[in-house]
Amino acid sequence: MSGQVSLSCDRIERYLGEEEERVHALRGVSLEIEIGSVHAVVGPSGCGKSSLLYVLGLLDTPDAGRVSIETETVSHLSDDELAQKRNEFIGFIFQFHFLMEDFTAQENVMIPMRKLGQLSETQMRDRAGELLDGVGLGDKLRRPSRHLSGGEQQRVAIARALANDPHIILADEPTGNLDTANSERAFELLQNLVHERGKALLLATHNPTIAEACDWIHEMRDGLIIDSQLRTARS
Amino acid sequence: MTPPFYIALRFLTNRKRALLLSLSGVVFGVAIFICTQAQTQGFSRYFIESNIGSNGALVVKSRFRPRYEPLMVTAKNSKGTAGRRLYFEGITNPNEIMRVSRQFPDVISCSPVLRGTVSARAGFENATVDLYGIDPALHAQTTDILNQLIDGSFDDFRNNTSAIIVGSRLAELLQTSVGDTVQLLAPNGEYWRFTVAAIARAGIGSIDSTRIYSHARVAQALLQQPSGASMIIYKLRDRDRAPILASRFETLFQHDALSWQEREESTLQLFLTLRMSVAITVSLIILLAGFGIFNVLTMSVLAKIKEIAILRSMGYRRKDISAIFLWQGALIAAAGSVLGCLLGALMTWGVSHIPIHLRGLLYTNYFLVTWDWHHYAFATLLALVAVFIASYVPARRAAELAPVATIRGSR
Repeated sequence: MSGQVSLSCDRIERYLGEEEERVHALRGVSLEIEIGSVHAVVGPSGCGKSSLLYVLGLLDTPDAGRVSIETETVSHLSDDELAQKRNEFIGFIFQFHFLMEDFTAQENVMIPMRKLGQLSETQMRDRAGELLDGVGLGDKLRRPSRHLSGGEQQRVAIARALANDPHIILADEPTGNLDTANSERAFELLQNLVHERGKALLLATHNPTIAEACDWIHEMRDGLIIDSQLRTARS
Repeated sequence: MTPPFYIALRFLTNRKRALLLSLSGVVFGVAIFICTQAQTQGFSRYFIESNIGSNGALVVKSRFRPRYEPLMVTAKNSKGTAGRRLYFEGITNPNEIMRVSRQFPDVISCSPVLRGTVSARAGFENATVDLYGIDPALHAQTTDILNQLIDGSFDDFRNNTSAIIVGSRLAELLQTSVGDTVQLLAPNGEYWRFTVAAIARAGIGSIDSTRIYSHARVAQALLQQPSGASMIIYKLRDRDRAPILASRFETLFQHDALSWQEREESTLQLFLTLRMSVAITVSLIILLAGFGIFNVLTMSVLAKIKEIAILRSMGYRRKDISAIFLWQGALIAAAGSVLGCLLGALMTWGVSHIPIHLRGLLYTNYFLVTWDWHHYAFATLLALVAVFIASYVPARRAAELAPVATIRGSR
């Protein structure tokens, strides 16, 4: 990899559970994600894809190894500092979208912006409107998220992940809960964002079509990346 | 508006039933606290005001012989107890004591009283009465007697040495009214004839059923007392300083001095016990409301585990999550306190209009209440503390939730 690295990890170790149920979920995983690239992590269930995403997304702390955002090592930071990094640099998309049910689509997208505190109320509303328009939900800004369809909810989650214009987008099976048409649409949206706006995307997926469309495919098994393939040559 | 405050507001308003449940607990707790305190303190304060208005905040009474303890030699078999004071009835040189005591900045005015017990007769009715021989001008300055008159005129009393003022319940007992004649029995067996110039109601049964005021000179002659005054009563700028002043007067004048707090200690203790008992009961209601809020917020934390994980993944810190739940508690406490204070005031007003017919310790036709901002402040403080404690545990629990565990669990 020769481009500028957005997110990387080095020899990450992670154990989950206690005593007899203790599992070695990540066994020295190293990975580099460049700006403007889309990476897919594939592998059977329980191979450690999600655990890797949570560690890279600073939601979970590794037992050993190092996580860096651009050139800064962040794995040693305090809980508050990690939260700050998540807010500024990382956008998360989960399989089950995880929207705030009582909030409207627009309010959901505004939640990360409120925390960042860089925009006024009007600016936040405008930006949320633009992002939702970008995912085809411009006419459903004020609809409570629980009244949206599964595909629409996932698109709101994508818009929310982009709210603070993060450098890195981490998606844990973002299309796992969508039909084929919605899956393709959501993935296309993310892919365009990465390539046009210089983001970095790492997604865990079971969907071979989506994996094939990524720039890199990393195959995981038993907590290890056993194979990394560059799929496309980018300009 | 901070993000935690905004989210707290949204969480609260989206769970209207839980909000109403929590809010009603605080509202009723605060309101009942205010209303019960207003009642119990109402009776207590009425008693104190009436008592001080009739008997003064401070009374200087009998002269005593000082104990020269440093000079005494204790006998070997003695247990070492000091001898009791020797009291001599009446005030020695009351004018000089009043002149000196008026120099004290706390003293507004003072009035000498010659007190004695005599028999009264009016028509076929007889009663034992507490005769207060007073200087009308000084007594009017020192007590609330002018405001206590319910019939007749104080001027008629002041301008006529054979006039008296009769306590309202005593007047009922003797079946006498203004202009009637009342005879008082002197120690030598002679009856003295007086005209009732006015009827006074202090509002305290023990005063209204026994007291008669006459001119001091006439009382002195009737009672055949050598001393011009058996006590001096004082009106003070700050009645709470009465015990300190009493102590200083005792040392200075070598006369027994009693503050109103000491004089009415047993009754005041009764009121205090009643107030404390009611306050404890109502505080338990507020604590119960706090327990309700604890349950509601704990349920809210359980219901919002997913939302908490989302917020954490988006960069909200533990203290932001904690603040969301503390804000919910604070909003309930603030809204509950404001509404509770309003309801408390309304209930207090309502209670003050409930007719009752009290003719015992106190005289009143309606429930007595006190309008005191301290009750509102204390009820609010109590609600804030109870709700804070109730919110703290769920808030802490919410902050400690690991987002990854929730997200993993939802997969």
